[in-house]
Amino acid sequence: MIARVHTFTLLGVEAFDVSVEVDVGPGLPSFCVVGLPDAAVRESRERVRSAVKNSQFEFPDSRIVASLAPADLRKAGPGFDLAIAAGLLVAFGQLPPDALRGCAMAAELALDGSVRAVPGAIAMAERAGELGLEKIVVARPSAAEAAMPAALGAHPCRVVPIDCLKDLTLLDTTGEPSFTPPDIEPDRRPSHPGVDLEELRGQPALRRALEAVAAGGHGMLILGPPGAGKSLAARRLPTIMPPLSDPEAMEVLRIASACGQNGWHSNGNGRHRASRPFRAPHHTISPAGLVGGGTPPRAGEVTMAHRGVLFLDELGEFSRNSLEALRQPLEDGEVTISRVRHSVRLPSRFVLIAASNPCPCGHGEDSPKCQCPAGAAQRYRNRISGALADRIDISLSIEQPRPEDLTGEPGESSAAVRERVVRARLVALARQGCANAELGPKALREYVPLSTDARRELTSGHSTLGLSGRGHDRVRRVARTLADLAGRDEVSPEDIDGALAFRRRNAE
Amino acid sequence: MTATPTARSWRIRRTEPGWPECLSELPAVDEKEPESLYGFGNLGLLSEFDPDRTVTIVGSRRSGTYGREVARDLGFGAASAGLLVVSGMALGCDSSAHEGALDANGATVAVLGGPADEPYPRSKAPLYRRILSSGGAVVSEQPSGTEVHPGFFPARNRIMAALAGWVVIVEGAHRSGTQHTVRQAAKLGREVLAVPGPVTSTLSELPNELLSEGAPVVRDAQDLLDHVLGPGQTQVRGVGPELEAALLEALVAVEAGAGTCDAVAMSLGLDGNDAAVALARLELMGYVAGNAVGRYSRTQLSPPRGDA
Repeated sequence: MIARVHTFTLLGVEAFDVSVEVDVGPGLPSFCVVGLPDAAVRESRERVRSAVKNSQFEFPDSRIVASLAPADLRKAGPGFDLAIAAGLLVAFGQLPPDALRGCAMAAELALDGSVRAVPGAIAMAERAGELGLEKIVVARPSAAEAAMPAALGAHPCRVVPIDCLKDLTLLDTTGEPSFTPPDIEPDRRPSHPGVDLEELRGQPALRRALEAVAAGGHGMLILGPPGAGKSLAARRLPTIMPPLSDPEAMEVLRIASACGQNGWHSNGNGRHRASRPFRAPHHTISPAGLVGGGTPPRAGEVTMAHRGVLFLDELGEFSRNSLEALRQPLEDGEVTISRVRHSVRLPSRFVLIAASNPCPCGHGEDSPKCQCPAGAAQRYRNRISGALADRIDISLSIEQPRPEDLTGEPGESSAAVRERVVRARLVALARQGCANAELGPKALREYVPLSTDARRELTSGHSTLGLSGRGHDRVRRVARTLADLAGRDEVSPEDIDGALAFRRRNAE
Repeated sequence: MTATPTARSWRIRRTEPGWPECLSELPAVDEKEPESLYGFGNLGLLSEFDPDRTVTIVGSRRSGTYGREVARDLGFGAASAGLLVVSGMALGCDSSAHEGALDANGATVAVLGGPADEPYPRSKAPLYRRILSSGGAVVSEQPSGTEVHPGFFPARNRIMAALAGWVVIVEGAHRSGTQHTVRQAAKLGREVLAVPGPVTSTLSELPNELLSEGAPVVRDAQDLLDHVLGPGQTQVRGVGPELEAALLEALVAVEAGAGTCDAVAMSLGLDGNDAAVALARLELMGYVAGNAVGRYSRTQLSPPRGDA
């Protein structure tokens, strides 16, 4: 008899349908898995055999074939264990034939028959909902994830959390395990426990620049000696960014789940919150680690930073290859990984924050303490590739705060700054449907009208400061954001001046 | 048409004390010495006239950005070194030379072809007013009410050439008014200096020809000053445009070592945005310069005196 079970395999951050067919038939006792399984899937035979035996089921002394369809899609990971075991039990008559109707499942089996969570429960539950399946069986630890799509308005699909293989006998009975989503709806207020902008003391221009970054989505470069607070500032950026919309929250959660992480925080009273991610990969990261890769394709840091912040500390230390790899995600907002049999698109819209010392020794070449050889600082800065430089609208030099500043009053809190940011972002969205950082040259002319005075200010920027055409556009974008923050319809000369002070130098 | 109500018109005759003596050299080269000069503004500029500290900067009316920028730079440099800048207030180079001198809070004299109470060309009326309001003078040999005649302009050129010890040619084509000025200056024995230009441009025909004939080359204001005042006597140290009190405070903060927006904001108790705006303005005015990483430092430019 043949049994068929729905399950999924994860490619990138998306779930693809896999149908597990199990045939238990006459012949020499054997157990094989076909359909391009990788090592982990082939090993699932051993886990399934032990788990079945240790769950007071009988393991058939027959010829067993498990086929994973479609046969040309490479399957990876241990997530098929439960489906194979369930198919086996139905095919061998130990579970009623109807037990698995309208039901998808994904979990890893332990040898004692207990089940373990697998990554990607959100994407799988979402896909199950789209397919019109009635329920999805997952390990109890991933139940909260699997319930998330329904909570955020996707097609509902009942989540059945189980603890062990034995629980499959409870399916379709009155004792079927149920899962009440414990107030799972992510209210979208930010929750970054213990991280607040008020800890940034005495750096008013840096605060202002962060505010502009949060409101306009601009890329930013912070230049300053070690200990100036570059990381501290970048880490607080997600706390002042606008809240996630429902679809955005879903994207963030789906990616986090596919990467085996929690995309939300529990705030202690049972509520869960999706928050904008903050990723700070070390500068030794490989290009594949940064943008994703491997077989099967896995998401990289840029995808894990989707809708959040990607912080590249010590920008000058990243390998040129890694920085070049950022070109596509920065330009397209997604990464495409192509393999022979398929290609995977990984979303990657993030705000880029880069930090760097002014020169390799950190003091800055204009400082008497700098010990770098001649030209080293220049070479160090040139590491930032063209693609990256184009995406960095705001650059700010900072220095170590004075001791008296550090003991002073705490700065404005994230919540207060965020109110202004949200207002400015709404204005921008109402005007042009995208953040100011995404305004191209044509859109700039349309949506960033300049008063005569502002135009004169910008023109003198050209002649006096040697602003290039691209530099011009960047100044104009940032000026638009500064005007939005100040609640001005038209860009004023002050906005242009502010943007000129925040402009990137030496980038053209 | 009347000039600014604040400026009083005056007339000075050849025989009167305070008449610029260098004009008396004109008859020696078969040119007519003006009977009298009519003018507005600072008569003292003429009565205390010293041709050794005066430069005439002239050039083409049709000049492009290059000629205007250079003329402006020369006017600025000369005036900030205390020289008197003379020109003709014509479109192009002449006006830029005046503007440069005015930007340096220097004195400048415009010699008009038509009567002195009538800004010519009309579009330069704002410049005319600015010259008068900042201690300069506008002079002409034509009395008020004379109708402007094309022949006045070559005649005016001889006065410009005679007034200064040095004549700088910024741009000019063959057979232009500028060439006329050069001829007059050469006759009078005034030293003619020239600014090199692209050999493909007709506007650079005249200066390039002068250079090939051995005229001293003027590449920037420093070249001019080296020539007029002696090599290395004066460094071009400009005087910048006027500063509001807030900007002056920010400038003082940068002088005291505040190199970032944050540092300026903290030392003055400003909002971060205001500090950024102030620094950008100072940079646009040339008072501070940002290095490759965006740290600011003070430039050579000094702010104008408090009473300016």
